[in-house]
Amino acid sequence: MSTAPQRQRPYWTALVLPLALYLVVFLVIPFIHIVVLSFYTHSPTRIWTPELTTANYVGLADASFLTVLARTLRLGLVSTLICVLFGYPLAYFLARADRRVALIGLFFLVMPLMVSAVIRTFGWLVILGRNGLVNGAITALGLERLPLLYNETAVVIGLANVFVPFMVLPLMASIERINPALEEAARNLGASWFATFRRVILPLSRPGLISGCLLVYSAAISAFVVPMLMGGARVRVIGRQIYDQLLISYQWPNASAIATLLVIATTSLAFVVLALMRRSARQEEGA
Amino acid sequence: MNRQMPALLKPFVALTYILLLAPLAIVVAVSFGASPTYQFPPTELSLKWYRGFFGNPEFVRAFFRVSLVLGFLAAAFASLLGAAAAIGLVRFRFRGRAALEAFFVAPLFIPEILFGAALYLTYARLGIKPSMTSLLLGHIVVCAPFVIRNVMAGLVGLDPRLEEAAMSLGASRVQAFIKVALPLIQSSIISGFIFAFIISFSDINLALFIAGPNSTTLPVYIFNLLLFEGDPSVAAASTLQILIVGLLIWLVQFLFRPRALL
Amino acid sequence: MALTPTVEEQGSAPELEVRNLVKRFTAQSVVGPLSFRAEAGEFVSLLGPSGCGKTTTLRCIAGFEVPTEGSILLNGTSIEGQPPNRRNIGLVFQNYALFPHLTIFENVAFGLRLRRVGDRELRQRVGAALELVGLPDLAARFPRELSGGQQQRIAIARSIVLEPRILLFDEPLSNLDLKLRLAMRRELRELQRRLGKTAVYVTHDQGEALALSDRIVVMSNGRIEQIGSPQEIYERPANAFVADFIGSSNLLEATVVGSDGATTIVNAGGLMLRAGVVGHACGARILAMVRPERIRLATTDEPAGDNALNARIKEATYLGQDLHLNLRLDGGQELSVVTEGSAARRLVPGEGVVLTVDAADIFLLPK
Repeated sequence: MSTAPQRQRPYWTALVLPLALYLVVFLVIPFIHIVVLSFYTHSPTRIWTPELTTANYVGLADASFLTVLARTLRLGLVSTLICVLFGYPLAYFLARADRRVALIGLFFLVMPLMVSAVIRTFGWLVILGRNGLVNGAITALGLERLPLLYNETAVVIGLANVFVPFMVLPLMASIERINPALEEAARNLGASWFATFRRVILPLSRPGLISGCLLVYSAAISAFVVPMLMGGARVRVIGRQIYDQLLISYQWPNASAIATLLVIATTSLAFVVLALMRRSARQEEGA
Repeated sequence: MNRQMPALLKPFVALTYILLLAPLAIVVAVSFGASPTYQFPPTELSLKWYRGFFGNPEFVRAFFRVSLVLGFLAAAFASLLGAAAAIGLVRFRFRGRAALEAFFVAPLFIPEILFGAALYLTYARLGIKPSMTSLLLGHIVVCAPFVIRNVMAGLVGLDPRLEEAAMSLGASRVQAFIKVALPLIQSSIISGFIFAFIISFSDINLALFIAGPNSTTLPVYIFNLLLFEGDPSVAAASTLQILIVGLLIWLVQFLFRPRALL
Repeated sequence: MALTPTVEEQGSAPELEVRNLVKRFTAQSVVGPLSFRAEAGEFVSLLGPSGCGKTTTLRCIAGFEVPTEGSILLNGTSIEGQPPNRRNIGLVFQNYALFPHLTIFENVAFGLRLRRVGDRELRQRVGAALELVGLPDLAARFPRELSGGQQQRIAIARSIVLEPRILLFDEPLSNLDLKLRLAMRRELRELQRRLGKTAVYVTHDQGEALALSDRIVVMSNGRIEQIGSPQEIYERPANAFVADFIGSSNLLEATVVGSDGATTIVNAGGLMLRAGVVGHACGARILAMVRPERIRLATTDEPAGDNALNARIKEATYLGQDLHLNLRLDGGQELSVVTEGSAARRLVPGEGVVLTVDAADIFLLPK
């Protein structure tokens, strides 16, 4: 909303150009670089040579990488579903609660989000570890310790825990836009709480749900820290693959190929989210 | 008006919060324990891990000389670039405005390890050694969207008639903006700054790739200790981070009430 | 306005009874205790300024607020413990609350689908409801394609298709522009008469309440000020609040001086007035109320009325059909008079006139 249509062009250019240039140099060029690198050949002595090849991409079709890929996508999906399960009620509660309660609730949602993922995962290590909370209770009952960490379940728990705020925030924004009178109208016409959710809230908060799912999924499939800490060597995901190949085995062209694919996947998801957000904003204005 | 809610909702929400916050609470509790294993609940209380943390020069360096300084610098630059960009985006109409906004905000949707990898490779090719500066340059990219979001929300909520009134009283366009709009969006800029700081302070994914041996940030240090099973001074460091982040968010939420978050 | 004879003319139990209803929000903010009844087929309005508690009362009846004390009875059975989706009470919302993601047909069919009504019956009932509100051809549209008046009618259709026991209206016409509001008013009343359903209607617009209701419950500050038919409320307000809220009135402070069995004489700041009511104790301090349209300008050929007052014109506002006058009496009190715009002579500020009022038009209110 401008105060008046601007005709003096210099003003906006001066304001917007610095960041635009900065991003081109420090965001766009690096990403172009990895795409280019993904077509170079690996060299054991100089890490890479500028000979163009598609070997890196072709090489991704092998069984071990595909297993890792399948596992990553699968874990991402399960984490997303868990986030929906826990996130929907929380989003509804915050959207409909009194202002004071909603502010406090938001605080306790955003605070964990902003604290480093490392620290949050640390907490789960203590809970699920060999000498941790759960095993402490189990041994106190005289039972055998359980290996709760370093498996896929632990990774999923960690991912869901870290990313659930990504689900709640867009969902909450979507639900807030639903006129509460619609829920009351449904109740007045005989709907139980579940029927009201299914017939009124769910369809009308779908954009927020999709945004949330895409954000969580996107983050989950590119996660590195959580799977590394909670899953160890047994649960390899794509993020780990990239890290290893970049910093340990120096397979840079290969890592670039993987990274490029992941960028394409997540950017596509992001476009869908943005398009959804813009559509729901336009629908609001039209209503 | 108090709206009715289904009976099972509140207990389930409470459970969700417990699951969400328990890990943090446990870390805090462990930091006050005396045992060298991560014991929860701690059987005796002690501050020795805090003494251990402050006594460990690497820890202190990571915390004060790297993470804190980096956070402030990243937030400062991100706020400058971001606030300017936000003003340009909101107050002016030009072709491609929506696309430019999407471009500025894009880093929010790009997974950090991918950005970290890209920067790492680019720095390597250019022969730039990892340092605090190289990490700072990356953080600015990631932090700017938060400032932009906040400032845009603040500007959009501003009644344009206030500046029109100023102009009717003789102020030029720019004067009206500086004297009327800027003070009113002050809180948006500050809360954007604080968010930018937190993002930089808590970042692990970028730092893992780009931080060098002289610029190990606190989260990276904690990560390495966790991998190699350090002692609970890790918990002390984590608790401090939780405290700082919690305080800052409380500040923003209850004092500045930002309108946009994600 | 005669009551509509209904098919199920019950015995003594009223269709709806609110008994000693209290809703406490905070120590200072309390609605009630309130008690009123609505007989079968009656149109009852809850009328009052914003914040008087009328919407809270309606929401208690619908089940969206839980009363702190008191009971709500539907045909003799108390319902205040029932959840809102079990009461079978129709509620028409202020902003219609039509489901934007459903077609008009699905909106109206919503409650029927919940009750698992068979397809054929459902289609027939929805069709009948749409016919009843005069919009049979809009079934496939979406709410955003309809005008405000049409949306309002669909909202009504959605409620009545379920054959509720009573209908509640929460200021349904306040979002419409004036002409539409007046047209919808008539339609609403006709619809309610045709259906024969008891209706409770919340509004702050006194003209609306007067035009639509069989009885009006006037509320302010969480309490009931008066219950009565439109005539009773207008002609015989119970107190100064009602007198001033419904229409406008002149209120003069006065003391009762005497009575002659048929009328009462009061002294209003030196001015002696004869009021057509009895029953007030001598020496009592009251307010003498007279409506502006009941005061006439004395003309030479008119016989002297019960009351003659000397006054000086302060302001004369010509509004075409009416002429609004602000005058000052000898005793200093201000009076407003509404008379026909086609006054025989032009009136200017400063001019002295004589006003005449019949005793029957002066009403006495407690102070």
